[in-house]
Amino acid sequence: MDYSMEDTQNSAPEAQQANKLHTSGQKTDTQSVTKRLQAELMQLMLSPSPGISAFPDADGNLLSWTATITGPTETPYEGLILKLSFEFPNNYPYSPPTVLFKTPIYHPNVDFSGRICLDILKDKWSAVYNVSSVLLSLQSLLGEPNNASPLNAQAAELWDSDQAEFKRHVLARHQDLDDE
Amino acid sequence: MLSTVPLNVGRRRVCGSVFSPASLEAHPPKSTLDLQREQMPNASFQESTDSSSTFKADSQSTSFATIGGSTDAASPEEDTLNQARQAAKEFLSVPNLGFELLYKFRNTDGSQVLKEWNRLSPPSTETAEALEYLMRASPWTLFEWYGNDIRRHFLVNFRTGLSKLSKSTGGGLLRTIVDCLQLARRIYLAPVVQHLLPLIATPQAGGFLAQLQRAFTTVVQYSLPWKKISPLLARELTQDAVIILGIDTLDEDSDADRMSLDGAEMERAYSVSYKDWRQESPEARTHMMVEGEDGRVIMARDQLLEFLSGLQLVGLGGDQAQKVFANVMNVMMGDFIRAAYAGEWESPSTAPQHLEQWVENVYARLAVQVLAIIHSDPAGAQSGAMDVSFRDVEKWRLMGIARLGKLRVSELFDVVVDWPASCGAVEDLRRFTSNSSGARLYVTHFFSINLLQRLLHPGASTVEILQVYISIIRAFHILDPKGVLLDRIARPIRRYLRDRDDTVKVIVSGLLADPATADEPANTGDTLTELAAELTKVHQHSMQNNRSELDYDDLYWVPDPVDAAPDYKKSRSVDVIDSLVSLFDSKETFVKEMQTLLADRLIQKRQNYDQEITVLELLKVRFGDSALQACEVMLKDIADSRRLDLTVRNDQILSGHRKQAGVGKLHAKILSRFFWPEFQEQEFKVPDEIIKLQERYAACFERRKDSRKLMWRNALGQVTVELELENHTFKDEVTTWQATVIYAFQSDSDEPATKTIPELADELEMTPPLIRSACLFWVSKRILTEVHRDTFRVLEVLPTEDEEDNAHAAGDFSDASDSEAGDTATAAAAAEAAAAAAAKESAEAAAMEKMNVHWQFIVGMLTNQGPMALNRIVMMLKIAVPGGFPFSNEELREFLAGMVSKGKLEIVNGGNYKIVH
Repeated sequence: MDYSMEDTQNSAPEAQQANKLHTSGQKTDTQSVTKRLQAELMQLMLSPSPGISAFPDADGNLLSWTATITGPTETPYEGLILKLSFEFPNNYPYSPPTVLFKTPIYHPNVDFSGRICLDILKDKWSAVYNVSSVLLSLQSLLGEPNNASPLNAQAAELWDSDQAEFKRHVLARHQDLDDE
Repeated sequence: MLSTVPLNVGRRRVCGSVFSPASLEAHPPKSTLDLQREQMPNASFQESTDSSSTFKADSQSTSFATIGGSTDAASPEEDTLNQARQAAKEFLSVPNLGFELLYKFRNTDGSQVLKEWNRLSPPSTETAEALEYLMRASPWTLFEWYGNDIRRHFLVNFRTGLSKLSKSTGGGLLRTIVDCLQLARRIYLAPVVQHLLPLIATPQAGGFLAQLQRAFTTVVQYSLPWKKISPLLARELTQDAVIILGIDTLDEDSDADRMSLDGAEMERAYSVSYKDWRQESPEARTHMMVEGEDGRVIMARDQLLEFLSGLQLVGLGGDQAQKVFANVMNVMMGDFIRAAYAGEWESPSTAPQHLEQWVENVYARLAVQVLAIIHSDPAGAQSGAMDVSFRDVEKWRLMGIARLGKLRVSELFDVVVDWPASCGAVEDLRRFTSNSSGARLYVTHFFSINLLQRLLHPGASTVEILQVYISIIRAFHILDPKGVLLDRIARPIRRYLRDRDDTVKVIVSGLLADPATADEPANTGDTLTELAAELTKVHQHSMQNNRSELDYDDLYWVPDPVDAAPDYKKSRSVDVIDSLVSLFDSKETFVKEMQTLLADRLIQKRQNYDQEITVLELLKVRFGDSALQACEVMLKDIADSRRLDLTVRNDQILSGHRKQAGVGKLHAKILSRFFWPEFQEQEFKVPDEIIKLQERYAACFERRKDSRKLMWRNALGQVTVELELENHTFKDEVTTWQATVIYAFQSDSDEPATKTIPELADELEMTPPLIRSACLFWVSKRILTEVHRDTFRVLEVLPTEDEEDNAHAAGDFSDASDSEAGDTATAAAAAEAAAAAAAKESAEAAAMEKMNVHWQFIVGMLTNQGPMALNRIVMMLKIAVPGGFPFSNEELREFLAGMVSKGKLEIVNGGNYKIVH
């Protein structure tokens, strides 16, 4: 991976630079984004991590993907299949992708429309992250929610107080998207 | 206002006002008219310049009328005149005898027919006097009347007959018609010529005769419409022109050449044949077409000229006939060129000179002779002006050259295929193309179409296409040294060659071929050995010629030709190799293929690799050292390993490892893995003895070369096998896996060893198809025999013929394939087939390997995007997989079906594939 060499501290100025370039050289930007995403896809395909998977949508421009996380064992989400959508900005990887849960999920850090509160998708984003690292983070978030900044306060409360009730809520809310 | 009316009309009107309208005979004698005519330009001049023109014209007319009036005025004279006229009419009138009579006598000299028609008897004294009087008084009226009478008579008597005749078919029809018409003409004119004209002064006589002639020709032309005549005339002309121009002999020649080659050359002084002409000395050439015409030619010429003068006489000549003649001659030129030069491609070409000579001496001669007869102006015959100017001849010559060029263009593809035997044709073509860009465009356009039709299609093998391409490069270099034409022609070929998968392979194997065999005609099969020869030949002068486009010291620089394409770049020389190598955008493809082929050749056991080294050195000159570095290393590996092999061997001997009985010698080639192409191979376990040898060898090697490790590639290499069986022996080079298999059959017991393929597969860790292939190989060598399917036994004792027959007859232990396996030839074929199957299997395994990557994509796709139809999967793979998706829909369908049966996929509603969790 080309970008793994990059210094994290440089990310902010470069992002600005990219923003500046954005107006003038949109085409080259899109090209480099496509190239980067293609490389990420190839890496995902060649060395798949268990429980996570992602693939571009059929629209052909590679800027929107669908990802799948299988709920980790020994969590309330065990065996559940959760779908997410990835929207990559034109200056990716200098800006984070927009990630949403498509499958309805009951989780302290996810609200009812699927928005996720995860620091690396916001201010902690860096160009060294990629689809697979985001998915792995999300996978671990399922087992260890960050209850300090909940989006779903009820869920945060339940997580701490009643795991069984929490799991019931999780299962009640969950629907497999394949059945659409 | 009179000035706006034609003078003639004005004069008539004035005449009419002076004499009674009925008295047509009051016309002035012709001499007066002529006088009048001579004055006419004068009069008109006055009219145009003088404002009082009306008056002037009037005065002219008046004077004319008085002249006319003075010649005959009194009525008694008019009576005499009428009587004389009556007598003359009686004398001149033609009996209505009909056309049949004419037709019957058409081939006679005419005296008989004239007698029949009563045209020869001299006039009686009275009539003679009347005629004489009439001639003196007013010949004009008499001739006018006779002209009308001719018309009338012709229409009544001959017209229907003629039109009936012209409808019939058959050769020489027009000749018959012309003969008849000539007779008719004589019938009409004989008495006039014999008895009337002598009475008039000569200058006038010509005019009157012409008048009658005109009357006759008009009625002939009226009766025989030109539409009917022209095809007949064209046929007649063609018939004779073919002989006169020598085209028929050319056709004959080629026939005769084909029929008899016994060398009994006809002694022929006169010939228009290009082949004969070429063989003559230059001095003789100039005379060849001028002197000593054939009897046939002379006859045909006489015949034609006679016929044409007849034609002209009866009024069917003139403009129309000239047009027909021009058409015929046009066709003739094309015919001659085709007949004379098609397929005559020897170099140096003298075809243009020959053609020019032919045009001047034969073609133009005929044209001059014919045009002298059928001229448009009847009076022009005497003028003596040349109908054919030298400019015309020059034009014909250019036309001929252009036609020759056209012929060559149409032959160009065959010319190129025949290269270099067809050098002459290209020289001709160069003459044609050198002066006009239109011709150049024509050449390229036509040839491109030809190429598309005849070469650039799936039926032509790549070797053929390359061969032709090489010929094209050479031929077009002669044709157009600038290379613009080649540039235009080569584009489609190059584009097409780039699309062919095996182009690189053919080129590289051609380069690596042995140039010594290049000249053998048998070697035209599947390698371009020519390339190897070319490589050694060309590189010397291509190096000298290495001038760049911007060489400021080049005093001979000329701009690119006008018809060059915008991105045209002049190629330095006729460098075939360069053209072929530059087919590909990067040298990498080429070098890679070079590596693969080189690897195959280097691994073979051979005494030396001089050939490869030479080729590599030559290629290095072209590509530079860095591009061929890998190949360089490969060659060095081979040289090094030979040295190393020797040292290791010495070490082994020194360190006391003696050669053990039953174990062979081991030679190794040490390849630097990084620089060699990937080998597709099937791994297997070699016999323990060999492994021991390998280990010892490796130990020695590692002592010599620190920090380097040997990895054995067992599937590559050769083994010299010696087998001793009960009553026969075997010694040959075989592949390692074949040797391994036969080694497994070695046993100390007296019983012949028997093994099955599954046993062997376990023992040798080899794939069954490969084992089967090896076994069948040994069966073909009569070492093994297949007792049952997939069970082989050593054939210790060769069966005698009888036994073999018995075995075939009995067929007890075998099914069909087994008994066939006794037949060594079949077994060899079977072994090859099995080997091919094994190779295919390993190739399939490689393909599977590739497919596995795609499988990951498919899993990812189906996991995230839900169930998908096959088409959608293919589409997505094409987008998502870097480098594209190389399999067809069908292949993918098969693969997915395999996955379905393995339970990894399922097919849900509508044929969509769904992943099974």
